[in-house]
Amino acid sequence: MRDRRRTRPDREARRAKADRRFAWWLVWLYPPPFRRDVGLGLVDTLDDRMRARRSGGASTIGTRIPAVADTVRNASAEWTAYVGSAFRRTVDSHPDSPAAPGGRTIMDTLSQDIRYALRLWRRRPGFALVAILTLALGVGANTAMFSIVNAVLLRPLPYPNADRLVAIWGRTSAFPRGLLSYREYAEIRRQTASLDAIGLWLPQSINLTGGTEPQRLVGNFVTGSFFDVLGLKAERGRLFTNEESAPGTAKPVAVISHQLWRQRFNQDERAIGAPLTINGTPLTIVGVMAPPFDADSVPSGGYFVGGVDVFLPAAEFPVPRGLAAAGPTLLAVGRLKSGVAVETGLAELDTIGRRLLAADPNAQAGRTLTSEPAHESIVGTSRPALLLLFAAVAVVLLIACVNVSHLLLARAIDRQKELALRAALGASRAAVTRQLIVEAALLSVTAGVAGFLLGRWALAALIWLQPPSSVPIPTNVPLDGLVLLFTGAVTLLVAGGAGLMPALRTSRLDLGRVLQAGFRRASGTGRRTRDVFMVVEMALSVALVAVSVLLIQSLLAIQQVPIGFDSSSVFTLQFRLPQSKYPKPDNIARFFRSAIERVRAVPGVESAALVRAVPFSGNGGTVGYAVEGRPAPDPAALPQSRVHFVTPDYFRTMRTPLLKGRDFTDRDDLSTPLVTVINETFARREWPGEDPIGKRITTPQTTGPVTVIGVVGDTKHYTATEPAMPQLYVAHYQVPLIFSSLVARTAVPPLSVTNEIRKAIWSVDKDQPVWSIVALDTLVERSRGQSRFLALLLGAFAGVALLLAAVGIYGVTSYGVAQRTREIGIRLALGAPGERVLREVVGRGVMLTVIAAAIGLAGALAMGRLTKAVLFGVTPTDPAALASAALVLTAVSIAATYLPARRAARVDPVVALTEE
Amino acid sequence: MALRAVEFHILLALAVEECHGYAILQEVSRITDGELDLEPGTLYRALHRMLKDGWVAECGRRSVPTASARAARPEPPGSNEERRRYYKLTALGRRVATAEADRLSKLVSIARRHQLVSHA
Repeated sequence: MRDRRRTRPDREARRAKADRRFAWWLVWLYPPPFRRDVGLGLVDTLDDRMRARRSGGASTIGTRIPAVADTVRNASAEWTAYVGSAFRRTVDSHPDSPAAPGGRTIMDTLSQDIRYALRLWRRRPGFALVAILTLALGVGANTAMFSIVNAVLLRPLPYPNADRLVAIWGRTSAFPRGLLSYREYAEIRRQTASLDAIGLWLPQSINLTGGTEPQRLVGNFVTGSFFDVLGLKAERGRLFTNEESAPGTAKPVAVISHQLWRQRFNQDERAIGAPLTINGTPLTIVGVMAPPFDADSVPSGGYFVGGVDVFLPAAEFPVPRGLAAAGPTLLAVGRLKSGVAVETGLAELDTIGRRLLAADPNAQAGRTLTSEPAHESIVGTSRPALLLLFAAVAVVLLIACVNVSHLLLARAIDRQKELALRAALGASRAAVTRQLIVEAALLSVTAGVAGFLLGRWALAALIWLQPPSSVPIPTNVPLDGLVLLFTGAVTLLVAGGAGLMPALRTSRLDLGRVLQAGFRRASGTGRRTRDVFMVVEMALSVALVAVSVLLIQSLLAIQQVPIGFDSSSVFTLQFRLPQSKYPKPDNIARFFRSAIERVRAVPGVESAALVRAVPFSGNGGTVGYAVEGRPAPDPAALPQSRVHFVTPDYFRTMRTPLLKGRDFTDRDDLSTPLVTVINETFARREWPGEDPIGKRITTPQTTGPVTVIGVVGDTKHYTATEPAMPQLYVAHYQVPLIFSSLVARTAVPPLSVTNEIRKAIWSVDKDQPVWSIVALDTLVERSRGQSRFLALLLGAFAGVALLLAAVGIYGVTSYGVAQRTREIGIRLALGAPGERVLREVVGRGVMLTVIAAAIGLAGALAMGRLTKAVLFGVTPTDPAALASAALVLTAVSIAATYLPARRAARVDPVVALTEE
Repeated sequence: MALRAVEFHILLALAVEECHGYAILQEVSRITDGELDLEPGTLYRALHRMLKDGWVAECGRRSVPTASARAARPEPPGSNEERRRYYKLTALGRRVATAEADRLSKLVSIARRHQLVSHA
């Protein structure tokens, strides 16, 4: 309720007060000496000026804006002059007086402090070295880690308008992120109002023939609109259009990458228009793609174009009935219109999906359309791992700071003698404190620079470790302004963290009293301070150790998970037969049979077979099925099973146990009824307690029922950590495929027979390229890549943290013992046994360790959500891990406190009492 | 030795009597018939320079003679809101001002001889 009794004079009084306060704030903008000399006068005059304007009828804005303008203009001029004169020795400008010898500028004081600090360091190089190295370690690790986090998680994709790029998925119950069919793409393109452009793409191995040897390249089957979406341009020639890539109007054109142009054509202009035979189809090169960025400094090489040699029209994609009639075949990427939210795009896709379902319920059964920001789909899965690593290095830095802080504090106390002398000679307390701060700053800046260099070196080492593809660190981690800013900020924090406490502490010391007390170590670091230091360091270390133990356990769990087959000594390779050369299933079957025969004849090969997708190669497929004799399920919700296409002898080659029934034989081919071998999980799911042999199933892709003839043991296919899934094995020769892989068990190291096997295949068809020649063991190991990588790194960090903590505890305890020399001496002189002192020091250490362990473990548990994302077979609350971390910490702390404690017990009472 | 125009005007204003900041502004404006309307920041930068050079000195704080408008507001006793810092010319400052005035008047007589000065 407004108080109506307020009068105009009161309002005026309030305004006047506000004006004056405003004037005060403005004057604060001037440099300190100016403020000191004429500041108050200026406040008065500003106030007068504003008052005059007000009584002239001006508003608040009208009075204040001129004042602000005036201040900005004049304050900046004053600051310029001030800073300028700080770098010159000021001379008393009175024409009559001589140059004042006492004139000091800031730079003078600073350089004096720095020179003093350097002198001290020269006298005690050990201290300086330890402090700088410790900090450099922390800063370096953090810089390296942040560079990675920046490159992978923070930087946008290197395409124009990258924030508007979205990955579009066809979602089913089996695949949350599935491919799109050409029909769906065409419909989205027609109906969308929120997308600027949408394109299809899919990288795949392609055969390049026409040279001395058939060569395998990486092709990307794309629509012309794909280039639009990503803003790609041609360096020479042109890119192909949507018409040229669409089924029905496709032309035999191709666009090659800059890399291929350089390697194969020596950047000759005549490459444009040159022929290129891909997968048996002759194409003409119409352009060279301009590399949009440096692929080495971008995660996954830019993802959409990374590693691609040739861009081909989508219509060329090898599908039996052509792209237009095929089901979900390709990936999709789109660009939202400027200003359109992701949610809007999502809603629109959902609607389009529903319309498609209504129009064609058979083909679209169980499918919805969805999208997510492209950046998310590329880096989303690596986020937990990277953040975990980042947290770990931050912990290491904290421990380093605590160490150095204590180091500085102890040294400051030690320098009491010297500081007291300076005080006696006239140095103000402010000057002494300033010197300490300058020293801490010098330490931090040196450590910052050293750490930055160390960080870049560590990055190189990390890349050399070959991080797994699931943690997409680019080979050439870019160094940008953000990283430099980060390092600078960290260095500043370190300076503050490490230097502030000692500086504050020391400034409070009554130096005069210290002088009078005859230079005795009157005040030490204080028991509580020392205890806090120790607890903080130990708590941080134990948290880190606990997490790394969890990761090691996880890694061990992954190593021990049975994969269902023997991966040792198995050679694998992949090939794809060109459709034009092998148009009929007969030709395909003949090629494969001959190829296997020839390979089996190679000396060193024990057995060989074909499988469509080698386990752990990243390839694979699923199929929906229905059990015969049971009520037909909803076609939109068929149960799914993994499906593998294998030749006879596959199970023998892989040493997968055949539990029931029989393996495929050569007689299971196109002329005989379809048969299948299932795995244990499948049998248990569909026919629990019964004998599955002889039972029949149907699938949408097959005509007629398929009879179960055998049961094999469960195997893993993508990762060792996946849950058991039902698997169907189908006879290779009953379903002719152009893409397949060879697996061969060898009596000798697998890769040693590479050339022989290749020659064997080429003896059947000299133009057939083969690729992905790798031992099965390598593939399996690669799948464990992320866990191994994380366990290694985190283990290393935990080790460093423990080391630093041990050094810190040792230092703190030694110092504490030294502080109490006199007291200990007295006790010993009075007859206390040496062990008692020892036990007391160590005992105190243990007690602090227990407290620290509790805090640290609580911290590790708090990070549970982050760690859970990267663990397998272990929960973040695993008691064994927590207990072992606590144990390790206790052992370390006992060791670190023991030595100083023993020194304490051995103190010679006489020496202790007479020490000054 | 050439003075900046701002400084000379301030010296002129202070030559009459000791003034506080705002009064200097007002005096300068009056002298130049409103042409030179100094802002407080500009004034005090010049004052700061002249204080350092010794041409001008502070001479204590005094109450400003109250204007009628201010009488309406009751001031709590002891408040220093109406007390201002006063500045005065030093002997050196007076000498500097005199030297500059001489210099300028010499220039004006030369100009008058060449009929450049309009008799206002």
